[in-house]
Amino acid sequence: SSVATMEHIYYHPWETVTKAAMQKYPNPMNPGVVGVDVLNRHVDTQGRLCSNRLLSTEWGLPSLAKTLIGITRTNTYIQENSVVDPKEKTFELQSSNISCTNIVSVDEKLTYRPHPQDPQKTILTQEALISVKGISLSSYLEGLMAKTISANAGKGREAMEWVIRRLNTEIEELAATAQATIRIPMAAAVTEK
Amino acid sequence: MNSVGEGCTDLKREYDQCFNRWFAEKFLKGDRSGDPCTEMFKKYQHCVQKAIKEKDIPIDGVEFMGPNKDKP
Repeated sequence: SSVATMEHIYYHPWETVTKAAMQKYPNPMNPGVVGVDVLNRHVDTQGRLCSNRLLSTEWGLPSLAKTLIGITRTNTYIQENSVVDPKEKTFELQSSNISCTNIVSVDEKLTYRPHPQDPQKTILTQEALISVKGISLSSYLEGLMAKTISANAGKGREAMEWVIRRLNTEIEELAATAQATIRIPMAAAVTEK
Repeated sequence: MNSVGEGCTDLKREYDQCFNRWFAEKFLKGDRSGDPCTEMFKKYQHCVQKAIKEKDIPIDGVEFMGPNKDKP
C-alpha cells in the first residue's frame, strides 16, 4: 500500500471553498461521476454537520485491465463521509470505493482549512491511501492508481475553481437582474410622455 | 446531477436546493435555527433506500436515520 500527500492553496475564503466542495458535482472535469446521493446527514451535539454520501461513477477501463481485475461492470460506487465544523472552520471528507471483491481499495481524505496567514485563502490537504490485495500484479496496479490519483488531483482543483466561478456568476447574474428590474419602470415612464 | 435511483432525481434536486440554501445562509453563518429541509429529506431518502436495495449496492454500515438523530 502507498500514501500520497498533497497540499494546495485556493485563493478564496474557506466559506466559498466549502460551499463549492459541497456542490462539486456535476462539473466538466469529472464526467465519470454520474450520480450523487445523500444517504444520511445530521448536525451533531458539537454543531458539526455530518454527511454520508454515495457517489456513482462510470469509468472506461481498457478491456485487458477488466480481464485482469475481473470487473464485469464499469460502475463504481464511492462512499464519502464528511464533517463541516463551522466554528473551527474545517471541512473534512473521507471517501473510499465500494466493491464486492475488494481487490483494489482507494481511501482518500481531504481537509479544507483557512490559510493560517491569510483568511482570504484556503488550504487543502489531500491524502490518498491505496491498497491492492490478492493479485500478483499488485505493485503494477498500485503504481497505476497512484499516477491516476495524482493526475486526478490536478483535475480536482480545476473542478473546484469551475464550481466557484459558477457560484460567483450566479450571484452576479442575480445582482444584474435586480438592477435591470429597477431600470425598466424608469424607461417606461420616459416613453409614456 | 442525477440520483442513483432514476426515479429519485426530482426529489434529490428539490432537497439539494433547500439544503444548499440553508447551508450557505444559515449553517455556515452560525445560525442554529431549525432545518427547513427535514420533510423533503425523508421523501428523498426513502426513494434512495429502495433504489440501493434494488441495485444491490453494498453500502457499508449505513443506518438510514433521520436528520436529527445524534450518533454517540
